[in-house]
Amino acid sequence: MKKYSLYTLALSILLFVSCSSDDDGTTEELTGSGEISIKYDNGFNGNDLILNTPNSANENGEVITVTRFNYIVSNFRLVNEEGEEFVYPKDESYFIVSQETEEDNIVLPGIPAGKYTTLKFGIGVDQEKYLQGSEGQGDFLAEAEANNMMWSWQAGYKFLNFEGSFTSESVTEPTDFKIHMGSHGSSLDNYKEVTLELPTSVIVSDEIDSSIHLKIDASKILVSSNNIKLSEKSVIMVDEEKSPQIAVNTTEMFVVDHVHNGESHD
Amino acid sequence: MVFLGSCSSDDEEYVAIDEPLEFTVPSNFPEPSYDLEANPPTKFGFELGKKLFYDGQLSANGFISCGFCHEQRHAFTHHGHQFSHGIDDLEGTRNTPAIQNAAFMTEFTWDGATSHLDLFPIIPITNEVEMGETVTNVVNKLKADKEYQKDFSLAFEDGEINTENFLKALAQFMVMMVSADSKYDKYVRNEAGGDLTDQEKEGMELFEQKCSSCHSTDLFTDGSFRNNGLPPNPQLNDVGREEVSGSADDRYKFKVPSLRNVEKTAPYMHDGRFGTLMAVLDFYDSGVVDSSTLDPLLKQEERLGIALSLSEKEAIIAFLNTLTDNTYLNDERFSEY
Repeated sequence: MKKYSLYTLALSILLFVSCSSDDDGTTEELTGSGEISIKYDNGFNGNDLILNTPNSANENGEVITVTRFNYIVSNFRLVNEEGEEFVYPKDESYFIVSQETEEDNIVLPGIPAGKYTTLKFGIGVDQEKYLQGSEGQGDFLAEAEANNMMWSWQAGYKFLNFEGSFTSESVTEPTDFKIHMGSHGSSLDNYKEVTLELPTSVIVSDEIDSSIHLKIDASKILVSSNNIKLSEKSVIMVDEEKSPQIAVNTTEMFVVDHVHNGESHD
Repeated sequence: MVFLGSCSSDDEEYVAIDEPLEFTVPSNFPEPSYDLEANPPTKFGFELGKKLFYDGQLSANGFISCGFCHEQRHAFTHHGHQFSHGIDDLEGTRNTPAIQNAAFMTEFTWDGATSHLDLFPIIPITNEVEMGETVTNVVNKLKADKEYQKDFSLAFEDGEINTENFLKALAQFMVMMVSADSKYDKYVRNEAGGDLTDQEKEGMELFEQKCSSCHSTDLFTDGSFRNNGLPPNPQLNDVGREEVSGSADDRYKFKVPSLRNVEKTAPYMHDGRFGTLMAVLDFYDSGVVDSSTLDPLLKQEERLGIALSLSEKEAIIAFLNTLTDNTYLNDERFSEY
C-alpha cells in the first residue's frame, strides 16, 4: 500500500509540475489522479436505519428491529466515459461497512483522472482472494474478526451479518433473528457483484476529489427478488437454498443517490 | 558475515541469517497443493511456527496449545481421547485428526471448514470448546512478548507481528510435517528396509481391491467427503459436511482420512467411536447402515459394506501397520522438547 501511494504521489508531483494549474480547469483536460469516496448511507425501507429501534412492518407483516448490520464490500472498479475500466488495486480493495461502528465511508485514493459513469464492486470475499491464504488476507482478517465478520467454526468470512429481533402475526413475542451470509467452504460461492450506473459522471483529477453517495435499503435483504420470511426461519447461516437467495437480495439493496464532484464527502 | 556486510549495498543483511528450508516431495507422492512460493518455509519461520504450535498463549486460558491435542508420538492426534477437549474441560464432538502431509491436502478438518492450510488454525483458536480465543487477542499477546518480537523480526522480512505472519509461521511448521518414510514407502521406492512379509503383501493386495478407491494414492486419501455408513450418534447428531455446505446431500459425509500412521492414531472415525482397527474393519464388514447419502461404493449388489473374512482383516491390519513412520514420529524437528 505504501509503495502504491508513494508511486501515485510521485506521479502526481511529476504531472503537477509538468502542466499548468493556474486556471479554474472547467474545460481543461483532467490530469493526474484523485480520490473518490463512497458513502454507504444505510437505511431501511426509505427511512434511516437506527439500530435497536423497530421499523414499520415489511410486506410480510414482520416488524424488524435491527441490532447489527455489517457487510463486506470489495473489488472496486470504475468505468469511464470511454468504457475503459479502472480496477482499484485488489489487495487494497476490501472494506467493512458497519452500522455499529459507523464505518460507512470508503475512500479510494489514486484514481486516475477522468470522468466515470459506472461503479462496480463485490459483496464479500471472492474465492481467489480466500485461496491466497494468509498472504492474501493480510490485516483484513483481523479487521473482519473485530467486526464479527468471521465464522468461528469455519475459517471463512461472513459477507453479511444482519441481526436483530422481529415480531409478526404468527410470532407475537420478539424473537431474535440472525442472518449470516458467506461462502460455504469450497462447495458454494456466495460472492456477488453489483454494477451501478451513476446519474452524473463522477469526475476526478489532481484538483478534484469527489464522492458517490449510495443509499442502502437493508429491508431488501429479506424482501426483494427473493422473499425471505423470518417467521418461517429466523436463523439463516448456512442454508443451501436461502443463503444464495439472500446473497442475490443483498446485491439489490444499493442505489446511487447522488454524486458530489469536487468535494469529498466526509 | 562481516565480509558480506561490508560489501552489501543495502542495509538488510540481517535477513541473510535466515535460510530457506528445502521441501522435498517424496517420489511416490503427488505434487503439493500448498503454494510454497507464497510462503516459503525458512529456518526461523519454521522454528517460530513450532514455538507457536506448542504455546498455550494461543488459547484463552493460556494452557491449551495446538500440541495439547496434537501429540507427536500419536502422529499428532489426541491419544485416549475420543473427542478433542479444550479450555475449561469443554469437550468437542470430533476426534483430533492427524496433521501429516498437510501440504498435499486441499480441504481441512473433518467437514472441510477451510480449503486453505494457512487459515486452518483460526478454527481451533476461535472454537469455544477448543482454544476459545480470538486471533486478534493471540496476536496482541505475542506483540507484548519480547521473545516473539525478536522471533518475528528474524523470520519475516517486514518483521511484523500480525495475523498474516502468525498464520504463515504456523503453516510453515505444518507444511514441513511430511510423513513418507514408513516400511511401505521403502517398499514402493525399492529402498532398504522395505521388505514386506507375505501377510503384509496379502493385506496390500486386499487393500488395493477393497479400500483404495477412497484411501487412494500414497497419501491414502482422495480428499473427498463421503458417508461411510456409520450409524449416526443421536446424542451428537453431527451432520458432517452439511454444516459447511448447507446441503442435505452432504449429510453425514466426512473427509476420508489419510491412513498413514493409523496404527498410532486410535481412536478411529470422526467421532472416535472405535478403539481398534479390528473394530473399524468389523464395522465395514457388517456394521454399515444405509441412508440416502451412503457412499455408493459401500452398497454394491445389494450388499452393505465390504465383505471381509477374519484372515483378510488381519492381513489388512498387518499392511496398515507398515504405514507407521517411526522417522516422522520421532523427528526432533517437530518435537516439543
